[in-house]
Amino acid sequence: MDVLKFAIRKLLGGIPLILGVTFIAFLLMVYFGPDLTYEKLGKNPTPEEIAEIRHQLGYDQPFLTRYGTYLKQLVTLDFGYADIRDLKVSDILKETMPVSLHLIIPGFILGNVIAVILALIAAYHRSSWVDKLIMTGSVIGMSISFLIVIIVFQLIFSSSYGLGWFPVRGWEVYDADGGIIWLEYLKYVTVPTLATVFVALGYNTRFYRAVLVEEMTKDHVRTAKAFGHGTKALLFKGVLKNAMVPIITRVMFSIPLVVVSGSLLIESYFGIPGVGKVTYDAILAGDQNILKAIVGLTAVLFVIVLLLTDILYRVFDPRVELK
Amino acid sequence: MNTKSIEISTMEKGHSVWDKAWYKFKNDGMGKLGALIVLVYFIIALAVWFGFVGGNWSDTSDALSEGPSMKHWFGTNQIGQDIFARVIFSTKVAFEVGLVVAIFSTLLGSVLGSLSGYYSGTWVDSVILWLMGVLDSIPFYLFVAAVAYALKENPFAMHIAMISTFWTGTARVIRGEVIKLKGQEFVEAARSIGVVESRIIFKHITPNTSHILLVQATIVFVAAIKSEVILSFLGMGVKDGVSWGLMISESTLDIQAGYFNNFIASSMFMFVLVIAFNMFSDSMQDALDPKKVS
Repeated sequence: MDVLKFAIRKLLGGIPLILGVTFIAFLLMVYFGPDLTYEKLGKNPTPEEIAEIRHQLGYDQPFLTRYGTYLKQLVTLDFGYADIRDLKVSDILKETMPVSLHLIIPGFILGNVIAVILALIAAYHRSSWVDKLIMTGSVIGMSISFLIVIIVFQLIFSSSYGLGWFPVRGWEVYDADGGIIWLEYLKYVTVPTLATVFVALGYNTRFYRAVLVEEMTKDHVRTAKAFGHGTKALLFKGVLKNAMVPIITRVMFSIPLVVVSGSLLIESYFGIPGVGKVTYDAILAGDQNILKAIVGLTAVLFVIVLLLTDILYRVFDPRVELK
Repeated sequence: MNTKSIEISTMEKGHSVWDKAWYKFKNDGMGKLGALIVLVYFIIALAVWFGFVGGNWSDTSDALSEGPSMKHWFGTNQIGQDIFARVIFSTKVAFEVGLVVAIFSTLLGSVLGSLSGYYSGTWVDSVILWLMGVLDSIPFYLFVAAVAYALKENPFAMHIAMISTFWTGTARVIRGEVIKLKGQEFVEAARSIGVVESRIIFKHITPNTSHILLVQATIVFVAAIKSEVILSFLGMGVKDGVSWGLMISESTLDIQAGYFNNFIASSMFMFVLVIAFNMFSDSMQDALDPKKVS
């Protein structure tokens, strides 16, 4: 019951954030954004036709009314029709969201789990050659642009110049009923996942190592060592569990941005029809209805993530109170 | 590591943060190597700026998609432009983006971070924290696109978008530092002799965070260069002229035709600068950030 109360209060507390995000997005993208009147009209429009289109787009209404309409759309999840495809925005998102999730989840999990493992190894062997090797690798990983990693990995694994093991681009992984064909899925998801993991490892390993090293230098770890506790117990109980709060924070807060920003480049490069690709197409075409929906929903996702993060803190550290 | 810290603590002279930092930096081989490489790039950028090299980046010739030769060191692209000249000219573009974004977002971050830290717990702090939360919650590419829409093809739209989002990281760090500093005696002393608040904040407190600002600026510099490449590739960054991102973008067509010169030249040039800057930035953090555990 307390958790429920806490959740409701936290969600209400997220309203200023959602208002801020939607306001800035609306101001920049729609109010000061491109005038779509003439893109929607045929040749030689009459003044009545122009007025009609401007009314449809809401250009004749005052700022606050138009912003209010956007908020209403966000609450009802009905963003009207998209320009780039003759479908409702909500239907497009329903169709593309699973694609993006299928694409991102393996890389996201591997990128964090492997990074924590590498960070544990590096932190445990702090200042030795193992640590230096891992940290050098991580700096190199951080320094190669995501774009270059994608292009090189596609060349190595998918093109005829390299191994040619995987399809170059596309996403033919669903059967006629919309079910997933696992073998095809593996073929299409491997190269993007490798690229994501490669880039994520650079940043994540470094961050997690710093967190773990800080924890290792604390007194309780030294005491545990002095009492002769084994390496495994020390690492997992004494260090990792205590370091979970910053780790959770990083993992959770990257979720909302990974969903859109992280997949935008990879989806548009590999031609995968997910949310990122739709966002990119909408940016190029100036499709305001889609962009409004994506920005608004990302903000909502952020608020939900904030809530879940607080609850997770409580799971790993019982001293944290849900206030 | 241990011997070094003992040496530092027993040093006779040089007790300021900067003296200690210089001492540490002098003994950091990787950091010095990084700084040297960055310096070389900076000289190249200056040489382009003053028109000594790279001015012929847009000239076309009959030599289409050629390999490296004495005349064209890195070969030519599909329309016969000299890749070496383009890569060199792009160095200037990268430095422009990096410096402009690093300087302005550090300024913005230090001012707003100091204000929010000094007035922590008041409405000023809440408003700034809210603004930072809002800016951090908008997907980056969408924000860049939105700024580009609003500024109607302004060539600095990308810079402005990066500045408006990258300052939040700096501001958060500075806020924490200022909260710690404002309780110290020198602030109390300044207050007791009646120094006005704005002077206390910006003359007494903010300068004490300058070592952190420097580190943050190097981090933002790298982030700006890396973002420029991806944004230009997506067609949302540099519009006129040439940059590493635009070169990589055009090279994806070359790659399909089996020519790799363009791609290798632009990505290697970028990689070396970024890794050198990361090495430099790391050694600055080791030298200047007392909290960092290595």
